[in-house]
Amino acid sequence: MSFEGLPKGSCAKKTSFRDSIYFWEIVRGLGVTIGHLVYNIFHTSEMPTLQYPEEKKIYSDRFRGRHRLMKREDGSPRCVACQMCATVCPADCINIDAAEHPDSEIEKFPETFVIDLLRCVYCGLCEEACPCDAIRLDTGIYEIAADSRDKFVVDKEFLLNDREHGSY
Amino acid sequence: MAKLTIDGKEIEVPDGTRLFDACTEARGRPLPHFCYHPDLPVAGVCRLCQVEIEGMPKLAIACNTIVRDGMVVHTMNERVNKANQQVLELHLINHPVDCPICDQAGECGLQDQYMEFGLYDSKVEQSDKGHKAKVKVIGPQVILDQERCVLCSRCVRFCREVTKTGELGIYDRGDRAHVDVAPGVELDNLYSLNTVDLCPVGALTSRDFRFQKRVWMLKSTEGICPGCATGCNIRIDHHGGRIFRLKPRYNPEVNGRWMCDRGRMTYKVVHDEKRLDSPLKKSGGQLAPLQWSELEGELSGMLKPGGVSLVIGSSHLALEELFLLKQLGLQVAGEDQIIGGLAESDQKDGDDLLLSSDRTPNRAGLALVGLEEMKADLLADRIKEARGTILIHGGNPAADPLLAEVLANCQHVVYIGTHVNETAQLAAYALPGASWAEKAGTFVNQDGRLQQFQSAVVCPGSAREDWRVLAEMLVLAGGEESPGNLDTLRKRVSSELFNGQEFDLNTLSALGVVPSGLAEPADPVAGGEG
Ligand code: SF4
Ligand code: SF4
Ligand code: SF4
Ligand code: SF4
Ligand code: FES
Repeated sequence: MSFEGLPKGSCAKKTSFRDSIYFWEIVRGLGVTIGHLVYNIFHTSEMPTLQYPEEKKIYSDRFRGRHRLMKREDGSPRCVACQMCATVCPADCINIDAAEHPDSEIEKFPETFVIDLLRCVYCGLCEEACPCDAIRLDTGIYEIAADSRDKFVVDKEFLLNDREHGSY
Repeated sequence: MAKLTIDGKEIEVPDGTRLFDACTEARGRPLPHFCYHPDLPVAGVCRLCQVEIEGMPKLAIACNTIVRDGMVVHTMNERVNKANQQVLELHLINHPVDCPICDQAGECGLQDQYMEFGLYDSKVEQSDKGHKAKVKVIGPQVILDQERCVLCSRCVRFCREVTKTGELGIYDRGDRAHVDVAPGVELDNLYSLNTVDLCPVGALTSRDFRFQKRVWMLKSTEGICPGCATGCNIRIDHHGGRIFRLKPRYNPEVNGRWMCDRGRMTYKVVHDEKRLDSPLKKSGGQLAPLQWSELEGELSGMLKPGGVSLVIGSSHLALEELFLLKQLGLQVAGEDQIIGGLAESDQKDGDDLLLSSDRTPNRAGLALVGLEEMKADLLADRIKEARGTILIHGGNPAADPLLAEVLANCQHVVYIGTHVNETAQLAAYALPGASWAEKAGTFVNQDGRLQQFQSAVVCPGSAREDWRVLAEMLVLAGGEESPGNLDTLRKRVSSELFNGQEFDLNTLSALGVVPSGLAEPADPVAGGEG
C-alpha cells in the first residue's frame, strides 16, 4: 500500500518566517475586535448583550424551568404519590413518602415531596411520566441560586406555591 | 403417561396432569390466569386460560381439563389470543384502573396481561364504570377494594380450604358480585396475609405494607423466618437498607407457598428504635458507648483460659455462631460451663398448618453442636454459683424475672445482642450483634432441616455480624485462628459436625437438607403443601 498521492496534512506545510512570529495575525485579530467596537458604538440597538438582571431573556414556551406541583381546586396537591416521576427520574432526585389520605376518594397523597434541584438535570421526564399532570416544569424559572446546598432541596410546600399559573 | 402436542411441541406428562400444568411445562411459562392456583381447588371462573384443543368445537379452559393421550393443543394462535383479549376486556369493564394509588401495580395480573395481549382502546368511559366499596378494612391485616377485584375466588377458596375459617365469600350476582367478609365477621386469622399474596390484582392489600413502597423499587433476598421452629422459607423485600415486607418463598418440604402473619411482622425488630448500634460499657450505673478498638483492652481479663465462668447461648443464634460460641466457651470457660441458653417456655398455640409452639428458630441447631438449654430455675442456680465473668450471647434471659434478679447481682456480665433489652441493661458490657436479616447463617428447624438465609440489609451503626465478634474473641483468647470469612467458617463447621455427610454448608441446596442419621427424618409439616 502506498500513501503517495494523498494530500499532505497541514502540519506538513512549511510556515514562513512571517507567519511563525504571528505578528500580522495579532494585528488582524485586533482589527476585527476594534471593528466590532466601533460598529457597536454607533449601532447600540443591535447589541446582543443583555442588561441582566434588569433585562431578562425570553425563552421559548417549551423551556423547562423549575418544577411546580399542581393543586386541586381545594388547594391540596394533585399528586397521588404514585412515584412514577421518582422512578423515571434519571438523576434520582425526587423523594416521596406516601401516606393515607383522610378522604377515601383520594386515598393516597404525598406526605413529603422533595426535589434536589442540584441533582436535577431538567430533562422533564417527571412531568411526562406523571399520570395526574401534577408536576410541571413550566414556571420558566431558571434563576436557581442559593448560598447553601440544602437550600436547593425543595419541599412540597415550596413546590406547591412556586408560581401559581406557570409563567406562560 | 400421556403424550400430547402443545404449540407444535411434543411432551409427555403423567396421566391425570392438568392441561394447565402441561402447558406451563411445554411453554416454559404459565398460561394467562387469575383463578388457577396449584395449592387450591380448581374454580375455573376467570376464563383466561382458554386454549384450543383440536377436535373440540369450543375453546376449553386448561385449568379444568385433564390431559388425554394424543391431545393437540394450541395456546397462542389467533383464536386463542382474541378470546383472551375479549375476556380481559370483560374483566376490565368496571375496573377502576387506579394503578397510581394501587399497591399491586408492578406485580399485577391485569397489568401483565394487558401488556401481553390486551393493548386495545377501552370502549368504556371512566364515568360509566360501576362502583363498589373501596378502602374497606376487613381485618387487622387486610384492606379490600371491591372495585379492583376480578372475582377469581382465590381468597375465598383459601379461607375455606386452607385455614378452614371461611371468613370471605362472594355476594350478589352479575356485575354486582363482590367479595366481602360475612356480616359481623373479620378476616382475622393467623394466615390472612396469604390472601394478599394470592390476590392477582390489588383488591386485597396489606395494611402493614400499604403505601410504603412501590414494589418495583424493592430488592429481594432469600431468608428463613426467625419466628418459630418451622422455619418458613421467605423472601425479604428491602430498599435502601430498610425491610418493607416479608413474603413466603416456595419450599414444598416446609411451608409450601404460605407463611403466617406473625412471621411476616418479624422484620419489625430489625428496625426497632432500641437496637444496640454501638458497644456499650456500664460506668456509674449508665451504659455509655465506646469503640470496638477499646474493647480489646477492656475485655482482656476474660479472654484467656479460665477467664469466663459461664457461657450462655441462645436458640435464636445461627448454627455457625453456636459452633464458634462453643469453641470460645471451651477455650475460656471449659466444657461444663457452656449452656445452650434459657429454655423458653412453649407457647402452646402452635397449629397444624405452620406455626409451631416453639418460637425459637434454631433449637435443633443447639442440639446439633451439643449444647443444652436449661429451665429458668436451674439456670438461676448456675448463675448464682458462677464467680466471675458471665458471657451471654443472644436471647434475652433477663426478661425472666428470676434470672433478672440473679443477673443483677453479678458484677461482670458481657452480653452480645441486638437490642438494648433487660439483659443489656444489666450487663457490664453490651456488644452489638447483627439481627437475623443482617447476617447470613444456617438455622435447623424442628424437623432437623438445615436451611440457610442471606443477609439482606447492613447492621446499624457499628454493630457487627456475631460470628466476627466471636472469631475475634477466640483469637484474643489464644484459640483457633479466625476463619476470616463465612465460607471458611462453614467449612470448619461442616467438617466437625457433618463429617461423612453428602453435603457441606457451602453447598446446601436451596430447599435445605436433613442430614441423614443426625436427626429424626423430616415429618412433613401438616398442611405444608396445601
Ligand atoms: S426534570 Fe428530570 S432530572 Fe429533574 S426531577 Fe424531573 S425527571 Fe428528575
Ligand atoms: S408522577 Fe405525578 S402523581 Fe405520581 S408521584 Fe410524581 S408528581 Fe405525584
Ligand atoms: S389491580 Fe392492577 S390494574 Fe388494577 S389498579 Fe391495581 S395495579 Fe392497576
Ligand atoms: S379479592 Fe382478589 S383473590 Fe379475592 S376474588 Fe377478588 S381478585 Fe380474587
Ligand atoms: S385459570 Fe383457568 S379459568 Fe381461571
